[in-house]
Amino acid sequence: MSISYLLVVLGLAVLAGAIWALFWAIDSGQYDDLERHGSDALEDGDKPK
Amino acid sequence: MNAEARHARWSPDAGEHEHVVFLVEGMHCAACARSIDRAVRALPDVVDVRVNNATARVSVQWRGHGPTGLPQILGAVTGAGFTPLPLAGVAATAEFQRERRAALKRLGLASLGMMQAMMYLSALYGVSDIDAAMTQLMRLAGMVIVTPVLFYSGAPFLAGAWRDLRHRRLGMDVPVALALLLAWLPSVVNTLRGSGEVYFDSVGMFIFFLSAGRFVEMNVRHRSLSAAEALARSLPAQVTRLLADGGREKIAATLLRKGDRFLVPKGAVVAVDAELDACAAEVHASLDESLITGESAAVTRGKDERIRGGTVNLGAPLMLSALGSVEDSTLASMVKLLERAQAARPQIARAADRAASWFVAVILLLALVTAFAWWRIDPSRAFAAVLAVLVVTCPCALSLATPVALAAATTRLARLGLLVTRADAIERLARVDTVIFDKTGTLTGAATGILDVKLLGAMPRELALGIAAALERGSSHPLAEAFRPFETATLQAATTHELDGSGIEATIDGARWRLGRRRFVEELTASTVTRLVPHRASGTRLYLGNEQELVAEFEVGVPLRGDARETIDALRAMGLNVIIASGDSGSTVASAARALGIRNSHARLSPHDKIRLVEELRADAHRVFVIGDGINDGPVLATADVSCAMGQGSAIAQSASDLLLVHEGLAILPRAVSTARSALRVMRQNLAWALVYNVAAVPLAALGFVPAWLAALGMSLSSLGVVLNARRLAAAGRA
Repeated sequence: MSISYLLVVLGLAVLAGAIWALFWAIDSGQYDDLERHGSDALEDGDKPK
Repeated sequence: MNAEARHARWSPDAGEHEHVVFLVEGMHCAACARSIDRAVRALPDVVDVRVNNATARVSVQWRGHGPTGLPQILGAVTGAGFTPLPLAGVAATAEFQRERRAALKRLGLASLGMMQAMMYLSALYGVSDIDAAMTQLMRLAGMVIVTPVLFYSGAPFLAGAWRDLRHRRLGMDVPVALALLLAWLPSVVNTLRGSGEVYFDSVGMFIFFLSAGRFVEMNVRHRSLSAAEALARSLPAQVTRLLADGGREKIAATLLRKGDRFLVPKGAVVAVDAELDACAAEVHASLDESLITGESAAVTRGKDERIRGGTVNLGAPLMLSALGSVEDSTLASMVKLLERAQAARPQIARAADRAASWFVAVILLLALVTAFAWWRIDPSRAFAAVLAVLVVTCPCALSLATPVALAAATTRLARLGLLVTRADAIERLARVDTVIFDKTGTLTGAATGILDVKLLGAMPRELALGIAAALERGSSHPLAEAFRPFETATLQAATTHELDGSGIEATIDGARWRLGRRRFVEELTASTVTRLVPHRASGTRLYLGNEQELVAEFEVGVPLRGDARETIDALRAMGLNVIIASGDSGSTVASAARALGIRNSHARLSPHDKIRLVEELRADAHRVFVIGDGINDGPVLATADVSCAMGQGSAIAQSASDLLLVHEGLAILPRAVSTARSALRVMRQNLAWALVYNVAAVPLAALGFVPAWLAALGMSLSSLGVVLNARRLAAAGRA
């Protein structure tokens, strides 16, 4: 039974990790444009930037 | 660039009045909108203030040359507790990105926290064989998770409520924040004491639903902005100006002035309204006007024709001369009109706002009554019931009901090429039952074209048209315009000479040709034609012939628009009565009416007659929609219930009409009417829903039938329902 005490705390740690990962992803712009990248493959790749 | 210069401002009457539109951050409800309104109105010389909480826009008009300026206005908004943001360009885009990221983080934290808190705390529901130490650990875990969720994800609500209370007003955030704190504080106390109820899971869920609602609302707002935004952003920042000595310099597009000559490379956007320069080598420019009109087919503009800012040059590099500055361009005028419309709030929305603010006061009172009543009946249930009453009510559904529908409809129409310049035009358009078309410039195009070709010899139609076009090339006669589209590279006329009032003679491949009046051509052919059948003509007839025979008869005039018939059929299928009111002669109007299948047409009307016609119809309780060219029928347009003008150039900013057709075509009108009708339907559905929901939910909550989690879900779903219902309008426009 005492293992479940550990599991509660472990759950909290995993949650903290998930939140950190989500915030990192948002800050690095992963969710800024959800539409454009889907059509990127259709664009010509040789356009000079 | 300083902060003030980034704001979209203009002066409609050269400094007499100034006008600015900006965004406001942190405005979510009617009470916020009203306090901004009041703060700005308190400034001297402010003429008009419009605040729209659905699009987060504020539009202010004030008298120039006075003590009030933009800094004072922005200061007043800041003083009321809000942050003004510039609307135009890159700055606003960066603000959007920042706002979106922050909202995503709040939503993400709330959803993860809610799930985990639920996981722990639901284990405690109705389970008795968990030991006390485990129970206490689970509650502690719930507190550790939900407390940051409350103060991070729930921060906008707490801050909003605090701001409302500090300014002594009741906003939507007040009951929400009260409920959150009422649920959270006792839970913390009970957790630390180790006994009593905890509501951490409810708090987490409530914040999650609220954040999700705000997130959707924010997306709708951003999207409605992006219509005007996309227009403004498409203009180039720099242009290459040609100097008088032949040199070139790169300057900011905003520095271009009327008369400046500048270069537009292939594929680039024209920065200002311009025309082909007199000394340019090109005679025609091939352009893509899709940004302005929504029409993607390439258009050709000759010399002396206005090339609108925002069009893309598809052909060879162009040398243009500017007709005005960026401020005067068609595109800039369109952006301003859109802004003006989106900043305003129609009557129906203002009524809902007033209702919503009373509503909050009533809810707080009801919560007090509930608390008192349950205290007398069963104190153990009082707390849950009060919480449910505070949470379940949804004034936001009420205050969002109409503005979101209007914003969605405006966006959809703008995408189709119809600008809505007045906020309540959509509501009025939905109720229209009679449509009056002015003929010239609306049902017909502005340019001459070939109405009919009758072949008199064996020559094929294309060749006859090609020869006629070769003859007319270089002619400045108005009718010559009609043949331009048929010019070919292979047919070249030589020794052309034009006889005024008769026609043109030239040689093509050694053969003499004439194009013009019948007698003039018959002199050359030395023959008369007997096969001609007299017919009712609505244009001018021209003949083409060589030394052997008469080849063809062309009827040249101003043709009906290609989509006129289809448009009118569609309007009538919607149950609208269609009328032509024109100043033209009886036969032209009658033939147009016949071609369009319209029975009710009036010819030879003076502008005064047209006004009387509209007034008579309105006196008979008809609601009249007038479509005119916007140039000479301003007074008629102003008399109608709703008016639509065909917009061109910078004149559109001064237009008195409610709707502006930017698109060279009528086919959008039936869709506009049906969009307006669905918008009105959505508004009614939304208001009815908000009312029914609240009236049904509050008594249930007060009687203690609604648990806290269900109250949170109901409240969020009811405001989400309103927003998503309106989104259907914009979504349908994309199909």
